[in-house]
Amino acid sequence: MHKYVIKRLLMLIPVIVGVSFLVFFIMSLAPGDTARMILGDDAPIEAVEALREELGLNDPVLVRYAHYMLDLLHGDLGTSYKSNRPVFSEIAARFPATFRLSFWGMLFAVALSIPIGIISATRQYSIADSISMVLALLGVATPNFWLGLMLIIAFSLNLRWFPSGGAEGWKSLVLPVITLGTGCMANITRTTRSSMLEVIRQDYIRTAKAKGVSHSKVINKHALKNALIPVVTVIGLQFGALLGGAVLTEAVFAWPGLGTYLVNSIKAKDTPAVLGCVIIFSICFSIVNLGVDLLYAYIDPRIKSKYK
Amino acid sequence: MSAERTKKRSMAVEIWQRLLRNKMAMLGLVILVALALSAVFADVIADYDTKVVAQNISERLQGPSAAHWFGTDEFGRDIFARIVHGGRVSLVVGLISVSVSLLVGGSLGAFAGFYGGRVDNVIMRVMDVFLAVPSILLAITIVAALGTNLVNVMLAIGVSNTPNFARIVRAAVMGVKDQEFVESARAIGTSNTEIIFREILPNCMAPIIVQSTLSVASAILSTASLSFIGLGVQPPDPEWGAMLSSGRNFLRDAMHLTLFPGLAIVVTILALNLLGDGLRDALDPRLKQ
Amino acid sequence: MAEKQYCIDIKDLAVKFTTMDGVVHAINGVDLKIEKGKTLGLVGETGAGKTTTALSILRLIPNPPGEITSGTIVLEEKNIFEYTEKEMEAIRGKQVSMIFQDPMTSLNPVMTVGDQIAEVIQLHENVDAKGALEKAKEMLEMVGIPGNRAGEYPHQFSGGMKQRVIIAMALVCNPHLLIADEPTTALDVTIQAQVLDLMQKLKEKYGTSMLMITHDLGIVAEVCDEVSIMYAGRIVEHGTLEDIFNRTSHPYTEGLFGSLPNIEKREEELKPIPGLMPDPTNLPAGCPFHPRCVYCQEICKSRVPAQTHLSDTHTVACLAYEEGTGVSLGGKHS
Repeated sequence: MHKYVIKRLLMLIPVIVGVSFLVFFIMSLAPGDTARMILGDDAPIEAVEALREELGLNDPVLVRYAHYMLDLLHGDLGTSYKSNRPVFSEIAARFPATFRLSFWGMLFAVALSIPIGIISATRQYSIADSISMVLALLGVATPNFWLGLMLIIAFSLNLRWFPSGGAEGWKSLVLPVITLGTGCMANITRTTRSSMLEVIRQDYIRTAKAKGVSHSKVINKHALKNALIPVVTVIGLQFGALLGGAVLTEAVFAWPGLGTYLVNSIKAKDTPAVLGCVIIFSICFSIVNLGVDLLYAYIDPRIKSKYK
Repeated sequence: MSAERTKKRSMAVEIWQRLLRNKMAMLGLVILVALALSAVFADVIADYDTKVVAQNISERLQGPSAAHWFGTDEFGRDIFARIVHGGRVSLVVGLISVSVSLLVGGSLGAFAGFYGGRVDNVIMRVMDVFLAVPSILLAITIVAALGTNLVNVMLAIGVSNTPNFARIVRAAVMGVKDQEFVESARAIGTSNTEIIFREILPNCMAPIIVQSTLSVASAILSTASLSFIGLGVQPPDPEWGAMLSSGRNFLRDAMHLTLFPGLAIVVTILALNLLGDGLRDALDPRLKQ
Repeated sequence: MAEKQYCIDIKDLAVKFTTMDGVVHAINGVDLKIEKGKTLGLVGETGAGKTTTALSILRLIPNPPGEITSGTIVLEEKNIFEYTEKEMEAIRGKQVSMIFQDPMTSLNPVMTVGDQIAEVIQLHENVDAKGALEKAKEMLEMVGIPGNRAGEYPHQFSGGMKQRVIIAMALVCNPHLLIADEPTTALDVTIQAQVLDLMQKLKEKYGTSMLMITHDLGIVAEVCDEVSIMYAGRIVEHGTLEDIFNRTSHPYTEGLFGSLPNIEKREEELKPIPGLMPDPTNLPAGCPFHPRCVYCQEICKSRVPAQTHLSDTHTVACLAYEEGTGVSLGGKHS
């Protein structure tokens, strides 16, 4: 197992290099003269030219990328054009807020979806099943930013239970977490249900019943672990959606995290900041995927033994 | 040859009949047909220049009424008319961006699956890199770099969906490439490209059709998301996400500004998902119980 | 003659499944008895209702869509339909256990084989986890698998080894009745013999009664004391091994033997039974076998044959053996 973990950690490196290059390359396609933008329209051409040289903007993209990655290794993501502060510290200041939102969002989604999915599957075609499946269908179809706005109307403007924005105290966390988690919850519920339905028809479940295992133990011990294998995959995939969704959720609730910073940086054409944000998001996603793969190997011995 | 054609047709008929029996899928299909018709005849339903973009301050922020079914927005424009025209944008962006993903991702996946080995390795590792960026973030990055206009939005969403198609088509191609009809085509000297596009791909349609339907839904959602944070369709052009974005300033007093465009998104995506699920069940009855 | 003691006595069992395509009458009035310590072979084609009969004994017919509509199953003097679900759980794996057809899919892929065997022991015997695992290891040794492999997962075993694990699991609590549902069908021929041999030995050691479900008459000849031939959810012929093999009476049984190649007379043509099993949602009226029967008469299409006793041990359900039906089997039998 240790070997597998190390192997997977090493596999992370080319992915991070690839991802950062992809994002770097896309951002380098941006039209417009960065140096001109920083100095303003009135600056003399010589000054702009000097700054271009200083920032290395005249180098080919691969060279610039190499510099960027070397700096990244030292925790340097460049300097924000807008605030003139290191992008790294700007991101570090906002990362915890986004982490908190994503963590609780995912926890909310997983904690509710798996039990609901199991109940739906074990009572297929019951009223509880129909209701949860209709809700799950709606959950998948509802854009999270719109759900956020509706929640604000209901629970903030009308009922006044929770604030409509900001990040002060646990109450401010409730609506953003529901907003962010609902889509994932709906997806995971559907996967859990269909996976469970598939598993409880398997021969080994019949074997367990023939051994005299009680119904609840058949479900919770024999079926669940098998059913979770595809669910874990979906949770990993949903994390990507969740991080993307965090950008929109933060925009709705004025949440002081990376997403808000990203959107503001895009509007300000602050390339280093945008680049830094997307790369950090992608690295987080890659690390989560690594965690998911490890969890996968933990649940499914067939995967584990492949890497022995 | 004609026997084969009849067989294919009868299979299509069978799939269609299975789909017809699925009430939820039919509901989705009916909604989609209605949406498509309203998009095609949007100009008949409401004139773009006079009803959709022209401001009419005297009628601003009116609630739903007989004259304005969904009320009016902060510039006095009819929200129903804007939703109908916005639907046209959503459907067009959805269809074109998915076509881009299908064309690029599908071809890459087909080549990777067909040739295997190094070709497969290179293509799929590149796709892995694309997949490592959460797709809406990839779209945001592309639009941020290239600038906000409809073409870039379609391109961005198309690119961000490409790896999914590559993966699905690759898996499907690998499933059929060793079957006998491919062998026999090769035996009579058909070129590889011809084998891929004439023999293999037509036999991998099931997962491609399902993925396309579901991808149109996610593309529409992405379009709305981009517009919501100001990176998509720009005012005064109507788009559901952009309408939500401007409506959020009036949540307290005029919630219909955000309610109806949001419902339009939910209904559209729901319909596509229902149809997609139904197609999956109809195309692969093995999956259903 | 002393009263025979039966391990299980099934009377008039009927099971139906309600599906989207219609109602499947899987079992239509089946009678089966197994004497203590004996082996009954249940023979028939795929879809005849053999597995459904077996699952009925464990009350494991999935419901919905399945439903037991009539009959009694008396297991050691008590009708199992009177038990609560809780009581039934105590019986499964302890009094009655089952070996399934496909060892590849019948073991839980995410549990070690040791844990899967130990689970049965812990459910039915008063031992702690450690003791159960010890006993599981002993049982593995008994079926010819080193006990130290108890910590491995099913995918690390071959098909034959998996079936041994399943046999170990089924026999570890000394069941009174062992149901073996085509236990060797999925295995290589060489492994088949080993597994059958193992089952025979263990069965004799523990004095277990056995219901051997199979479509292989060779296996029947090897392990069974009595045989029931099943067709479309009915028992069409029942008798001792000699009755069935030497005094074959039902045209369907005859057809089963006719479908076997004879090594001594290779020039003789195989006589396969024409046609297929009837659609279980739409069983023919009269004798269910009539559309495929070479001796079929008009009356066979409307009258359901009753069980006719040919001897103390031999019964058959065919109109040719009933008085005044006018059906004859071509003078071959009287």
